[in-house]
Amino acid sequence: MDRRNFIKTAAASLSIFGCLNFNEESILQEVKERLSQRKRIRDLGIKLGDMEPGPHNAITDVRGIKVGHFTKSHGSGSNAVRTGVTVILPHSDNIYENNLFASYFNLNGWGEMTGIVSITHTGKLQTPIFLTGTYNVGIVYDAALEYLKRENPEMGDSERMVFPVVAECFDDFLSDTRARQISKQEVFEAIEKASDGLVEEGAVGGGTGMTAFGFKGGIGTSSRKVDGKYMVGVLVMANTGSRNELRIDGVPVGKEIKGFRYERGKPKSIILIAATDAPLLPFQLKKMAKRVAMGLAQTGAISHTGSGDIILSFSTGNIIPRRKSSLFHRLKSINDFWITPLYQATVEATHEAILNALTKAETTIGKDGNIAYGIPLDQLESIMKKYRRIGENQ
Amino acid sequence: MSLVIDKFKESELEKDDFPCGQKNSITDVPGVRVGNFTFNRDIITESSHKACVRTGLTAILPYPMEKSIRLFAGSFILRGRNEATGFEVMDDFRYLNSPIVLVNPFNVGRVYNAILSYGFSLGRDEIWPPVVISINDSYLNEMKYALLSEDEILETLRNASTKKMEEGCVGVGLGLRAFDRKGGIGSSSRLITFDEESFVLGIVVASNHANSAPKASFHSQIELAQNEEDSLTIVVGCDIPLIPYQIDELTRNLVCALSPLHTSSSSHATIMCIFFTVANPMSMENEGPEIFEYRVIDDEYLGKILRASLSAFDEAFANSLLKATSLKGRLGREVKKMSEDEFQMRFRARKGENNA
Repeated sequence: MDRRNFIKTAAASLSIFGCLNFNEESILQEVKERLSQRKRIRDLGIKLGDMEPGPHNAITDVRGIKVGHFTKSHGSGSNAVRTGVTVILPHSDNIYENNLFASYFNLNGWGEMTGIVSITHTGKLQTPIFLTGTYNVGIVYDAALEYLKRENPEMGDSERMVFPVVAECFDDFLSDTRARQISKQEVFEAIEKASDGLVEEGAVGGGTGMTAFGFKGGIGTSSRKVDGKYMVGVLVMANTGSRNELRIDGVPVGKEIKGFRYERGKPKSIILIAATDAPLLPFQLKKMAKRVAMGLAQTGAISHTGSGDIILSFSTGNIIPRRKSSLFHRLKSINDFWITPLYQATVEATHEAILNALTKAETTIGKDGNIAYGIPLDQLESIMKKYRRIGENQ
Repeated sequence: MSLVIDKFKESELEKDDFPCGQKNSITDVPGVRVGNFTFNRDIITESSHKACVRTGLTAILPYPMEKSIRLFAGSFILRGRNEATGFEVMDDFRYLNSPIVLVNPFNVGRVYNAILSYGFSLGRDEIWPPVVISINDSYLNEMKYALLSEDEILETLRNASTKKMEEGCVGVGLGLRAFDRKGGIGSSSRLITFDEESFVLGIVVASNHANSAPKASFHSQIELAQNEEDSLTIVVGCDIPLIPYQIDELTRNLVCALSPLHTSSSSHATIMCIFFTVANPMSMENEGPEIFEYRVIDDEYLGKILRASLSAFDEAFANSLLKATSLKGRLGREVKKMSEDEFQMRFRARKGENNA
């Protein structure tokens, strides 16, 4: 959206709903904010944890993983659409034919992640992973099956049926969710656009309409190298947390930030996906998923009762062919005695992924003129300086 | 009537003598409604291919959906190779707030979406999360073409009734297959009396398990249990005041008691039991009260409830097979109805064996 359209949309939504808290000046302030360069938390000089991120500091640093978004953002007032879908392709091969070990942890079950029965009982991930808005789940599920059927024509007829993983957060604050404005074609497009390398973050894909910690939230990702051998990557769709909870590297940022109020908004859910190329068996991935919850806790989030905090973890370290080729398989797994660095990497990457979702997301005006501000980076920097997390006294 | 564990029957089950409810159907449970949509059609596709559609949908509505109510519920799954949406909430918050819809896997997304539409149309907050359970009917049904429209699904939900549930080849039962014979859906109910107070327990069974592998590939020679589509799905509803840990106890025991039904075959089925109680409904109108108060039955009586459930299961399971009729479907396959004689032979142990 260009600057003029943005002002027009903003002004329109504000005038319709008689929002008195904002004059033209504050709208212009918003535009300035929006057009300014949003940065990743590390680019602000804030380093979280002790371990080094991978080359892209993204889940795609785990080899083979691709991420694609479809972003849908148009309209204003009660018909505003701020939604989309994000897809994670777990490896470069056909995931239906070549499965990966996976596990899941239901930290607070006020949410939906489909495909979980089969993952908990087989220990395997057999489909791509989709992240979207709550009410889009049925449509995205339908599209996912159509995509899988197209890629694997015998699926469900003479070959095994699989159940796609579709997870959601509630983007009702910024988007007219009940209209369920996502189409199958748009889901296919997200899959086609999936790529490795840098991952777009913030108000994109499934994260388009999400808010977190009273700011604009969305998609965020991060990674950590472990012992120079393995990689851990995390991708989140963040829509959770209250402003006053937000902590960054222990600093009570949420309490320190002035202004940019989150009027009428409520904290909702977060979906967290962790991946590693270290060979882990499902029970170990379950433990890893629990460490993701600890990474979430580092941001100060307390998992509200209405927060669907659902975690999926998978490993590309073993590939299990769907078709049985021999009586026995050769599998590997890390000795639990040496596994702690992977847990540390998981906690750090999760913390950073959630914060990237915040610092990369741009101020968004959505449904009924509701505004979610991008976290003000200038304030954030000075707060972190004050607490000596940036600069010479670090 | 008993077929699951005959010894059990001889020793204990008959002592209790649970009479049937009025309709001998899950709809005996107060407020419970059932809707079926049967989709039986040969479709000529664009490539002049004749697609056999043998599918349907069965919706169990546990309470009047216009109201915003939560019911305690739980589930237990053995060898889950199916889909169950709404799983996180039922697993963690322990309640049901949606119709339970049984449908083939290719319609899960459509039904999920239609339940949302249904909820929005009722003027209540929302029906969320939708509970959709998949049952794979691909042996007789060409799933790719067996897609239900939103209108068909909505109509089924709206027309659900408290009448005795239809059984056999109706709704999701149309395309099912069990023991290499025609499977289907069945229902029954039992009255359970504790100190002169009477309760109803109703059950729906969708039998789609214990089939020998339809594949004759090289690989199947070394595969023990690749009959991925097999499943036995059980939905139990009652008005007994139970709370979630008691529901867990019952679902676990019920599913484990059925083990002779799946281990006797070379195939291993998904066995899934969903259990809800309409007692202690939690009204969420205006976000509900600060404190809910419950009346809860003593644990002492769980055994009796389990026996009633098994008794109800037996009859519903028998109905699911015996009320079904022979059917021709995909790839010219025909599945014959299970005769009364065969049923007797398979499931009723002779007198002498009972004492062995």
